[in-house]
Amino acid sequence: MDLLWQTAVNAMYAASYMSLIAVGLVMIFGVMGVINFAHGELYMLGAYCVVFLYAQENFPFLLAAAAGLVFVGLVGLFMERAMFRPLRDNPLSGLIASIGFLLILQTLVVLGFGRRMGHVPPPTQEKLEVFGAVLTHQRLLVIVAAILLLAALWAFLKRTRFGWALRACAQDAEAAALQGISMTQTARIAMFIGAGLAGIAGALTAPLVSPTPYIGHSVIVTAFIIIIVGGIGSLEGAVIAAVLYAFVHTFVTTFFDGVIANIVGLALMLAVLVVRPTGLFGAKERA
Amino acid sequence: MWRIATRLRLLILFAALAVLPYLLSYSQQEIAVLLVINVLLVCSYRLLTLTGEWSLGHVVMMGVGAYASALLTKRLGVPVPVSMLAGGLAAAAVAAILSVPLFRMKGFYFLIGSFAAGEIIRLIWKRFTDPFGGPKGLKRIDAFPNIDFGFLEIDFYEPVNYYFLALIVVSASLYVLHRIERSRIGLTFHAIHWQDRLAESVGVDNFRYRTLAFVIASFFAGIAGGLYGHYVGAVNPTRFGVDQMVYVLVWAIVGGTATLHGPILGVVVLTVINEIVLRGLGLDTVRPLIYGAILILSVLYLPDGLESLGPRLRARLRRRGRDPAAAGGRAA
Amino acid sequence: MSGPGERPILEARGLIRRFGGLVAVDNFSFAVREGAIHGLIGPNGAGKTTTFNVISGFYAPNAGQVLYRGRNVSGRKTSALAAMGLVRTFQGSTLFQELSVLDNVRVGRHLTARAGFLARLLGADRPSERAADAKARETLAFFGLEELAGEPASNLSHGHQRMLGMAVALSAEPRVLLLDEPFTGMNPQETRRMMSLVRRIRDGGVTVMLVEHDMQAVMNLCDTITVMNFGALLVEGAPEEVQNDPAVIEAYLGAAADDGAGHAA
Repeated sequence: MDLLWQTAVNAMYAASYMSLIAVGLVMIFGVMGVINFAHGELYMLGAYCVVFLYAQENFPFLLAAAAGLVFVGLVGLFMERAMFRPLRDNPLSGLIASIGFLLILQTLVVLGFGRRMGHVPPPTQEKLEVFGAVLTHQRLLVIVAAILLLAALWAFLKRTRFGWALRACAQDAEAAALQGISMTQTARIAMFIGAGLAGIAGALTAPLVSPTPYIGHSVIVTAFIIIIVGGIGSLEGAVIAAVLYAFVHTFVTTFFDGVIANIVGLALMLAVLVVRPTGLFGAKERA
Repeated sequence: MWRIATRLRLLILFAALAVLPYLLSYSQQEIAVLLVINVLLVCSYRLLTLTGEWSLGHVVMMGVGAYASALLTKRLGVPVPVSMLAGGLAAAAVAAILSVPLFRMKGFYFLIGSFAAGEIIRLIWKRFTDPFGGPKGLKRIDAFPNIDFGFLEIDFYEPVNYYFLALIVVSASLYVLHRIERSRIGLTFHAIHWQDRLAESVGVDNFRYRTLAFVIASFFAGIAGGLYGHYVGAVNPTRFGVDQMVYVLVWAIVGGTATLHGPILGVVVLTVINEIVLRGLGLDTVRPLIYGAILILSVLYLPDGLESLGPRLRARLRRRGRDPAAAGGRAA
Repeated sequence: MSGPGERPILEARGLIRRFGGLVAVDNFSFAVREGAIHGLIGPNGAGKTTTFNVISGFYAPNAGQVLYRGRNVSGRKTSALAAMGLVRTFQGSTLFQELSVLDNVRVGRHLTARAGFLARLLGADRPSERAADAKARETLAFFGLEELAGEPASNLSHGHQRMLGMAVALSAEPRVLLLDEPFTGMNPQETRRMMSLVRRIRDGGVTVMLVEHDMQAVMNLCDTITVMNFGALLVEGAPEEVQNDPAVIEAYLGAAADDGAGHAA
């Protein structure tokens, strides 16, 4: 019983940072129709912002994390300008270009920090007990930050013109253009937010995961599973699927092992692709 | 049936390929062997792309061939040439099974699905130490047996000899791939690529033909895997990972996939750049960066690949050749 | 001109097709007699195209049956239906745009130019491929496209592209040919030419069913016309009966007045 509850608490932590990553990926896909294969490397970049600013240069942790959000968001803007905008009509080319970008980011980090794990001392060693389960402050911080960021994003999408523009572009880019929505402007904002969310996810979890330049691979695999299960293009679906996947993965890892958990996750995604390619929470089949 | 010029060109090409290894150092000969194997890998990949589908699991199929062939020799004592063929068949069989879920999808979904399927296979290799050897993979894989003609014994441990073996197997495979593309099967692949609904409406079973392309492509990838495994002597899950798949993508895209020589051009040019320029300059660490940059630049500025440069250049020369003549005509 | 026989070759019984909450085809039935030119018309959004897609196997019906030569074929794959002789065309310029005109029609002969994998590999399929090429050129000549055989399909004019679409379908040697808006975007001269070709195809023993907006062409060409509205059968009969039917007039006028909520029988 204790183990079950502890595992559930662990799963909540996993769900929170996975949501941030998956929501960003879905936003980018929604506007530009391109799957950003380098999304895992954006997460990695966020983690290395903390390695550099906090662990090496001794800036306060939260400042380093915020810098991770902004810096990775700017990298996202660069990707939009350099690759996704010129390749707008060709989603496959955009995806392949993002694979190229992934290699570049990896190599740059290897050159700057080496191949080995970057060690980030946790800013706080404290932990609290939640009905018998242990939750470190660092994990709690990730959960709280994820909830706040997603809530802020939700409000931003509901309250501002951008949310409307984002939905319009996701549904029909041409119609959106006719209504005077600037595709480029919308894509820029989506890219900044999407990349920034991956960046801050990496930054906040850096003390917990010991980042390496190659950590992006498992992140992108996870993110793919989540967005496919959630239905590509659905932000709500991405969050729900992240929670679902985090629970499945954490429980299988605890009671079997990590590799089996990965196999189960991938098999789940294949099953969803086969049975319901629009995802569990995606749009229904259209006429 | 080929035109004389084509035959002559092939003859010159093969003569050059026969002389080549003797001009190379030992380590360069080893690279040449891998290059020949990679030619088969990328050309088999191109066959699948004819139907318009891009897989991210092709290198895993190569791995299936390598693992199957290695295990057959190690565990069951199957002779190496037979096991290599069996490795190809194993990859084809895995592809046939995977087709059932994967070809319910198209385009982007197929891409992601093939990625997932490939990752599952790799994780299985990693997880199940018996028989796959876990993360360390399989070692001490049997080498290709020596051939003894009495007066001449060919030792395939020598890169030169293995180079010729690989060259023969790969050339034969490329010929088969070429025949398939030139036949009605190739026409049907193109038809599915450009307008699958129309193809279906005149009786083409899209599912069957996509499966066929996937199975053939995987068979030859498996053969490439067998050639690789019995040459290097070791295989592991990392060797068939996404990074390697990225290289195949880069070769195919940089070279172009409209013709059979496009991807060959891609893999040869990039390997030469890689081995001679990058390794020569001691830039091993930045190799992925340069590959990434080349990939982005070619997607942006050379979307039809290196193969499109020749015709473009020729067209430009012709235009330039004509213009002064026309000007001269007017002057006179 | 041979008249249609009595036996239905293609029939729909109580077809229903839903998309989410929307019922596109609602308990719709019709019968096409062998040797007929049968028109399916109706105002925009009446469910004609959906019906066509159900008959040709692109969608499975949610309920009801499609009977072809007396056999229930509902839900079968399009390619399987083509193999049985039920072949459709598409709206607009749905062609293998990057292939040559001849290759387009050669793909159309997929079912008749059969050969095994090894035969193809070894070139043993050459006799059957030669025959297929000859037939393909015949079909092109029938549509007046033989001069353009080597051109990429994308270079053809709109009218020629429509002809080529028909040629691809016809080269699959159908018994029933389903034409999806064959006259759309054609000038009067091209329409007349297309009409005479459709008649010749029928006279060659092929039953034709077509969905069309061009009322004049439909009235002149068809032996029987089925009118659908709101996914269901409105009227079925000879052109002159249909033309003067008050329900049809109302349906079209209602649609013309853009009264989507208008009530129909």
